[in-house]
Amino acid sequence: MTNKKVFNWLDERLGLTAIYKTIFERKIPKVNWWFTLGSATLFLFALQVVTGIMLSVYYVPSPDKAYDSIEFIMSGVAFGWLIRGIHHWGATLMVITVFIHMLRVFFYGAYKYPREITWVTGVFLLLATLGMGFTGYLLPWNQKAYWATTVGTSIAGTVPGIGDFILRALRGGDDLSGVTLARFFAAHIWIFPLLIIILIGVHLYLVIRIGISAVPGKND
Amino acid sequence: MTEDQKQAYKEKYLRAKHNGEHFFPDTIYKDLIVAFAIFLLLVGLALFVGVASEPRADPSDTSYVPRPEWYFLFLFEMLKFFPGNLEWLGTTIIPAAAVLALLLLPFFDRNPARHWKKRKFALGFMGIVVLGMVALTVRAAVTTPVQQESTVATTVAEKIAAGQDLYSVQCVECHGAEGEGGVVSGVEGLEGVTIKAIHTQDEMYTRNDDTLFNIVDYGQPNLGMPPFGKGYGGELSRSDIEYIVTFMRYSWDDRAELPKEAAQASAIPALGPDEIPSYDTHIAPLVKRYCVSCHRSGKENNNYLMTSYDQVMNSGDHEPNIVPGDLNSNLIRMLHREDIEAGGPMPPTKALKPEYIQLFERWIKAGAPQTTTK
Repeated sequence: MTNKKVFNWLDERLGLTAIYKTIFERKIPKVNWWFTLGSATLFLFALQVVTGIMLSVYYVPSPDKAYDSIEFIMSGVAFGWLIRGIHHWGATLMVITVFIHMLRVFFYGAYKYPREITWVTGVFLLLATLGMGFTGYLLPWNQKAYWATTVGTSIAGTVPGIGDFILRALRGGDDLSGVTLARFFAAHIWIFPLLIIILIGVHLYLVIRIGISAVPGKND
Repeated sequence: MTEDQKQAYKEKYLRAKHNGEHFFPDTIYKDLIVAFAIFLLLVGLALFVGVASEPRADPSDTSYVPRPEWYFLFLFEMLKFFPGNLEWLGTTIIPAAAVLALLLLPFFDRNPARHWKKRKFALGFMGIVVLGMVALTVRAAVTTPVQQESTVATTVAEKIAAGQDLYSVQCVECHGAEGEGGVVSGVEGLEGVTIKAIHTQDEMYTRNDDTLFNIVDYGQPNLGMPPFGKGYGGELSRSDIEYIVTFMRYSWDDRAELPKEAAQASAIPALGPDEIPSYDTHIAPLVKRYCVSCHRSGKENNNYLMTSYDQVMNSGDHEPNIVPGDLNSNLIRMLHREDIEAGGPMPPTKALKPEYIQLFERWIKAGAPQTTTK
């Protein structure tokens, strides 16, 4: 009885029932398993956030300490290897699910009226995910990371006209250094995640407002 | 789409929704199953595949073959098709056009149909693009030159073992197997120079790891020590130098406690009274630690190389240096610090411990076998 009273009091002010009805009780067309890829990506992103926060407790973004701090995570921290393993493989898997999710949407023509904006936010989410991959790759500060980023940033440097500016902006100087590591770290844990969270918000709002597309029939 | 088409679509969609399922629990149930499967997959990957360890970043190591993360490989591979002066086409125009095309897709694809049979051009085009990306990725993976294997030590014991191996090759000819130093002989440019011991408490207490690292890396030009870091003309990568410093610290600093497994790994295998010594188990570790530093190619050693069993038995200007069963073999006489035609006392600076010389003697007496078969 009191539980119900408390709930009613809260519901009156927060609109909990309305939220529940909008999100959970909504009806959607009969769809197949390919339609789980979006939520799978969302799950992977949440997992990346959680494991990423855990890793940031021990990770030190400096050229002197980054490599050692990851070595410590792998061998000195309880279940550090598991957290890093999940983060590492989760990144790979997230790129795959994002990509297949996009192909699914394309195949069913789900980007057409009235879901054009959902598609556009999705493309930005794809780009932000690739940005996460690119910036995260440098953080272990090992040979693979260092040289991949050297090549990656120098490719950006070949853009006609503003290439040199982009190159210096990415690296924070002419060469890869601690400055590069610091700004990649900032991009990886602040800028891109924030962008992704905002974009996911819009994406999901649109999915719930418009409803997910149905599997097209022969006459569609 | 015309207004009529929009209206028709909306009505049809409403019907599909009406005949559909509830998000909770029907849809969310499928989503949760997939999420759980993904979680299991990730834990499995972390458990059974793990994350490959890589050597520390080394800006001076230009031999490293750079490769982007696998999902950028297709872009990387595509660039190979553009000659130098057209590179900007591949790096700027094509990616920018692709991103723009993706973004604007709903606005230039005016075909109102959704079923694949009525969208053959769009699907065919996308199919070709995706196939092209997959093909480029495969091509990149196949044509990638194999990365030169470098040992990556992760535990302290592994680092010490790797450091000892590197020290044996790079440092022993001047600093001695135990860092005892002495008068250098047989090293070009440093003949007869006396080198102080580097394994003393004094040295260990007054030089921290960074200092040791820098000395190995840059060398000490005024004292005759050449730089060993790859960036300055030497053979050692950042990780290599780190291992050597770890080895020195744990072996010579009395404040550092050698981990048990490291002590076991670096110990010369003991030999029972009736046991027959073999090259692989007993002699190779000794040779590696005390001889190889000079007796490898590119050093002054009368062409006597000691990096494999065959070389130990049959190489050098005065071969054979080892005659199975003969304790008057050159090697034994020189270990006993005799000066003979084949050369002077070995190792030049300091005699081997008597038990090690004995090990060589018992091995030669037993016929100098490579392995013992029981």
